[in-house]
Amino acid sequence: MTKFLSSYEGLVSATVLGELRQLGNRLAGKRVVHVNSTREGGGVAEILDWMIPLMRDVGLDTRWEVIAGNSDFYTVTKKFHNGLQGFPVSVSRREWQTYREVNEENAVRLRPILEEADFVVIHDPQPAALLGLCPDRKGKWIWRGHIDVSRPMHSVWRGLRPFVSGYDASIFSMCQFAQPLPHPQFLIPPSIDPLSPKNIDLDPEELAAVRHRYNLDPDKPLLVQVSRFDRFKDPLGVLAAYRLVRKVQPVQLVLAGGGATDDPEGQEVLDEVLEAAAGDPDIHVLLLPSDAHRTINALQRLADIVVQKSTREGFGLTVTEGLWKGKPVIGGDTGGIRLQVVNYHTGFLVNSAEGAAHRIRFLLHHEALRNKMGGRAREYVREHFLLTRQLREYLTLFHILNSRQEASTIYV
Amino acid sequence: MGDFIVQDCTLLTKTSGLTAAINLRELRDRVAVCRQDVLYHHFWETPLVPSFDNPDYRNDFAVWALLHLGDRVLAERLGIIDSYTFTDMEKLREQVLEIFDERLNEVHVVPSCQPGGEFFFTEAVTVVFDTGKRIASPKELPGAIGTMTNGSIYYHFFEARRREPVGIDDFSTWLIDFPGQEVWRHALQTVDFVFFTLTELRGELVRILEKGGAS
Repeated sequence: MTKFLSSYEGLVSATVLGELRQLGNRLAGKRVVHVNSTREGGGVAEILDWMIPLMRDVGLDTRWEVIAGNSDFYTVTKKFHNGLQGFPVSVSRREWQTYREVNEENAVRLRPILEEADFVVIHDPQPAALLGLCPDRKGKWIWRGHIDVSRPMHSVWRGLRPFVSGYDASIFSMCQFAQPLPHPQFLIPPSIDPLSPKNIDLDPEELAAVRHRYNLDPDKPLLVQVSRFDRFKDPLGVLAAYRLVRKVQPVQLVLAGGGATDDPEGQEVLDEVLEAAAGDPDIHVLLLPSDAHRTINALQRLADIVVQKSTREGFGLTVTEGLWKGKPVIGGDTGGIRLQVVNYHTGFLVNSAEGAAHRIRFLLHHEALRNKMGGRAREYVREHFLLTRQLREYLTLFHILNSRQEASTIYV
Repeated sequence: MGDFIVQDCTLLTKTSGLTAAINLRELRDRVAVCRQDVLYHHFWETPLVPSFDNPDYRNDFAVWALLHLGDRVLAERLGIIDSYTFTDMEKLREQVLEIFDERLNEVHVVPSCQPGGEFFFTEAVTVVFDTGKRIASPKELPGAIGTMTNGSIYYHFFEARRREPVGIDDFSTWLIDFPGQEVWRHALQTVDFVFFTLTELRGELVRILEKGGAS
């Protein structure tokens, strides 16, 4: 569905939309290419899904390219993903070769587009090697690292660093995620689209249908964690917290995860979760297709409390989604969750299954506070984590790179 | 008497290249050598950076001292610094270092943060653009301010103090050319704006201008 800025009138102020148009007008006609590794599944694809049409709407000639890879390639890049987040992995010489070869194959197809573009935004490590394979590039190249690389496995970062060092700039979600690089590193937290199927308002009938479909008890408090089946999302820790709560009061848990085509490890983690949850009718483990956005939306709206008990996290868009639906969030004290979950204001940060259980019990016992926190949470997202803010920051970055000035204030 | 040119601005934060500080001594040492842009960002640009609600303190060093060093005394001393009265960043740096040194002399153990609570030094690039809007007479000013973006309010009321004529907001400077606007100028220049969010400040500016009336 094509999106237009005007669709967001009423959700954000007219002045905010006018500001975006003015920033866009001054970049009208500039060619922008975003490149990532999957069109469906995961936060990056979701961001690009709205960003491309909105960049076009403000006047930029924007396109989205997806690199093609085989299962060996995705196995390697999943290792990168884990290694960059500090999980011990070993990447063989052959696997590095696979990484380079797949990027070379993609460069043959993409080179003419990328070399002519005014701005190329390469998302995450998978297509990062394209820079060195496009020697006649005319525009500015930006590497957008979506994950937390603050404490990477040294061998993985040492291998990847040469591929990203040559970019004109990089973007990280938070300064905590950045690594020293020989170019400016800008900070742009991600955001959500309030009109996407995952976040748009739903009517009560649709909520009731989802509740019925998954056999959820309307009289029992509901905890929901939505995320890939990934060790860093700690689904087993959420199960442990649920069991601690269940000892003292009735409660039900939904662990809903979508698959992503670039994540071969998901099945293994899902099997572990299913085994741990076996025999408990109040635990609902749902492997949802990547287009089940309205179902995820409904589950978050049905929740009394949204949980995101990650042990490592890039930003955690599911936290933003939960907050936008007016739910307090129990979040792992890590990464971008810290930017969004403010103790006693929008939810609670926790460091263990025990901590999560304690805060869940607290919130279930204080309904008025829970509702108040939910209201604050929605307004916080409206001001800081909707797509209009992120679009403005991308346009600002393009202006900065386009100006070729080193000054801290640039007049355009 | 020219029209008031309504500008807007948008800010993008970037890393400074300085290593994060984990205790007061490291904070002091980094502040002593950081670029002025870093100092400016942590003291002046905080109204444009997301924060949950009105913080107690409006500069990042005071907030960090309170939340991550757990040093309330230091937070209070840093928090009262009115950075907008410093037109010379080096003078501001001197005062901040003096406060750090005084505190380091007082404490037996250097206050430190927990892992994950480090202070990250950042700076920002500001892009300023002409909105195309013009204000022809003082009578139009309250209405025009009422529809300005937060970026415009920041640029004309906060950032203006850094530009010539230093220490004065753009609205007051513009009104100099209009005889009989001394009441408005006085009202604008006496707003205690530090504790307002930009949204609140916009409302306050409209309120005092409407109260004062235009001649």
